[in-house]
Amino acid sequence: MKISVNNTLIHKPQEHVIEIRRRGSKNRERPPLGIGVQFRFLLTPIVLLISLFLGIPPASSDNRTVTVGVYENAPKIFMSESGKPAGIFIDIIEHIAKSEGWHLHYVPGTWTEGLDRLAKGEIDLMPDVANTAARAEIYFFHKEPVLSSWFQVYARKGSGIRSILDLAGKRISVLDRSVQQEAFAQLAAGFGLSVTLISVPDYKNIFELVARQEADAAITNRFYGVVHAQKHGLEDTKVIFHPTLLFFAASKSTLQQLLDTIDNRLLKMKSDPESVYYASLKRWVSEEVRFKLPGWVETLSWVVGVILLMSIGGSVFLKRQVNARTRELRQINQEMEQRIVQRTAELAAAMEKAQAADRIKSAFLATMSHELRTPLNSIIGFTGIMLQGLAGPLNPEQHKQMSMVQGSARHLLALINDVLDISKIEAGQLTLSITSFELKPSIEKVAKQVLPLAEKKGLHLKVDLADDIGTATTDQRRLEQVILNLLSNAVKFTEKGRVGISCHLDNGQYCLSVSDTGIGIQPDHVQEIFQPFHQIDTGLTRKYEGTGLGLSICKKILEMMGGTVEVESRWGQGSTFTIRFPIHSGAVS
Amino acid sequence: MSDTLLIIEDNEQNYYLMNFLLEKNGFTVIGARNGRHGIQMALTHKPKAILLDIQLPEMDGYAVATELKKHHETEGIPIIAVTSYAMVGDRERILAFGATGYIEKPIDPGTFVEEIRRYF
Repeated sequence: MKISVNNTLIHKPQEHVIEIRRRGSKNRERPPLGIGVQFRFLLTPIVLLISLFLGIPPASSDNRTVTVGVYENAPKIFMSESGKPAGIFIDIIEHIAKSEGWHLHYVPGTWTEGLDRLAKGEIDLMPDVANTAARAEIYFFHKEPVLSSWFQVYARKGSGIRSILDLAGKRISVLDRSVQQEAFAQLAAGFGLSVTLISVPDYKNIFELVARQEADAAITNRFYGVVHAQKHGLEDTKVIFHPTLLFFAASKSTLQQLLDTIDNRLLKMKSDPESVYYASLKRWVSEEVRFKLPGWVETLSWVVGVILLMSIGGSVFLKRQVNARTRELRQINQEMEQRIVQRTAELAAAMEKAQAADRIKSAFLATMSHELRTPLNSIIGFTGIMLQGLAGPLNPEQHKQMSMVQGSARHLLALINDVLDISKIEAGQLTLSITSFELKPSIEKVAKQVLPLAEKKGLHLKVDLADDIGTATTDQRRLEQVILNLLSNAVKFTEKGRVGISCHLDNGQYCLSVSDTGIGIQPDHVQEIFQPFHQIDTGLTRKYEGTGLGLSICKKILEMMGGTVEVESRWGQGSTFTIRFPIHSGAVS
Repeated sequence: MSDTLLIIEDNEQNYYLMNFLLEKNGFTVIGARNGRHGIQMALTHKPKAILLDIQLPEMDGYAVATELKKHHETEGIPIIAVTSYAMVGDRERILAFGATGYIEKPIDPGTFVEEIRRYF
C-alpha cells in the first residue's frame, strides 16, 4: 500500500496504463502508445489462443447476451437522466459488444447489489472493479486494466484538512465493501488514527453527507471526485492514496473467451488514439471538469472589471470635458487674437498720430524759435548799436534805459534758447559736436561772463582751477552752456557772500563744483529741481527769473556726455552743484 | 577785389542792422531781398563776401548757395550764412552746401563785424 500526501503521487502507473489527469494540466500528454514489455508477454499467448481457436466460429458471429451491472459511479458508470446507462465503462463495453455482435442487458442497482448479483452469477459483468486477492476468489478478471485510478479525500471548503493526520477524530464516509474502505482502514491504522467510517452503499449520496455535515470528509475515486465534488461545495484535499487498476469483473460462470475478447479489444483501442476508448475518456472526464478558480481571483476579477469600467467611463467623461475645454479655449484664443489684431491696429494708428503730433510740435517749436529770434535780432542789434554810440552819443538816462531794453531782450533770448533746447532734447534731436579743447580757458571765459552781475550784487567770485586740468574732448559749447547755467543760477540765488567755481581731475573724470552762499534748496525739492519747468511749478518765477528748464537741460547734456550732476544744499545756507564728465566724451566729430 | 559785401536778406530791419554795422566799419554794402536777385547781384558785382539768410521767399538759402557754386564767377566768393535757424544739423547742412561761415541770429553788434572779417 502506498500513500500519497501533499499532492505527491507515489504510484507510478504501468506504461501502458492510462492515467486520467485534469484537462489543462501541465502533464496533459498522450498516454504512451508504444507496446510495453508486459504487453508483448501478453500478446504471445493471445496470438497462440487465436491460432488455437481458428477452427471455432469468430467472436463477431457470437450472438450471446451479456448482462452488465450498472450503478452510480459517474463518470465511469452511471444511469443517465434519460434512464440509459452511461459512462466510460459503458462506452467501452458497448463498443466491444457492437464489434462482437453481443446483446447487452443492463441491470441497475447499487454497488453492493451489483457485487452480490455477480457473485451469484445473476449478471455476467460488473464494471469498474479493482482486482484484489479476496475478489479474485469470487470473480474472474480480465488482464488488461481499463483504467488506473487512486483514491482521494474530499472535504468541505476551508476544512483545513491537508494531510492524513488532519483526519484524526473525523467522520469519514466511504463506499461500503469497496477497495478504498479496506485500504483506508489499514492506512488509518498504520498512522494510529482514530476515525469514524460511515459506510454508504453507493456514491450517490456520499458527498451529500459531507455537505450536510453528517460527515467531515468523503473518500471516492479521483474520477468521481473530479466530476462531483464541486457540485456539493467540496474541495479535494491533498490526501491521495492507494492507486488501483480497474477492470470488468466477471462471474465465475462466464467463459474465459469473453474475458479474452475484452482484453483483445482493449489492447486494440488503447493503441489507437482515435479509438472509442480515448474519445470516451475525453468525453466523460473533460466534459464535467471545471476549473476551480480561487475565490479571490473571482473577487479580484470583479474589482478589476469595475475599476476598468470606471476608468473607461472616467476617461470618456474626462475626454469630453477636455474637448469642451479645448473648444472653449480655442474660441477664447480666436477672440483674443482678433482683439490683439484690432488693438495693434489701434495702437499703430495712435502711435502714428502721436508721432505726427510730435513732429508737428517739434516743427512748431523750431518755427516759433526762429520767428521770435528774427525780431529779437533787430532789438538786440540796434540797442547794441545805440549803446556803443555808433548811432550818436546817448545821455546817461538814455543809456540806462537802452541798457534795460538790452537786458530784457537778452533774457527773452535766453528763454527762447531754453525752449528750443528742451524741444530738441524731447525730439531726440540734440547731438553733441565733439572737439578737443583746453578746459581751463573755457571755464575762465564762462566765469568772466557772470563776473559783471556778481560784482554788481557785491558777490565775491572765486575761481579755483587745479593745475592738472588739460584738454577735454567733448561738446565745448554745450559744456560751457552747463557751466554758465550753474554759475548764473548761483549768482542769481545769492544775495550776499560768495560764489565759487572749482575744478580738478578725479579718477579719469573732470570734477567741477559751483558753490554759493545763497538761499539753498528745501530738502523736499532737491530731487525735483532737475525736472523740466520746475521753477514754474514752484512759483519762484515771481522773484527769480528763469524758465526752470536750465537744470533739466544741464542734466540731459551731461548724460549725453557720460557725466553726472549732483547737488548738496542747506536751506538758507547755500548750495553746491557738482558735475562730473569724462575727459573724452566720444569720437571727435 | 573790392570791399563790397552783398547781403541777401528779406527782413528789412535785419538788413538795415547789418548794413549799418558794416558801413560804419568802412564796407560798401549792396543788397538783395530775394535769392534770384541776389545771384544776379553776385554775378554782376563780384562782391568780397556774401551774407546769406537761409529762410528766404521762393528760393531759399541752400538753393542760392548751390547756384552760386555753379558759376565760376561766384564760386570763389565766401558765403557767410546768417540765420536764426538753430535746429540740429542746420549749421552742418549749410556748410555742406558750400557756405564758408555760419553766424547765428540774433547777432551781437559788438562782435559781428569782427566775425565777418574772419571768413575773408
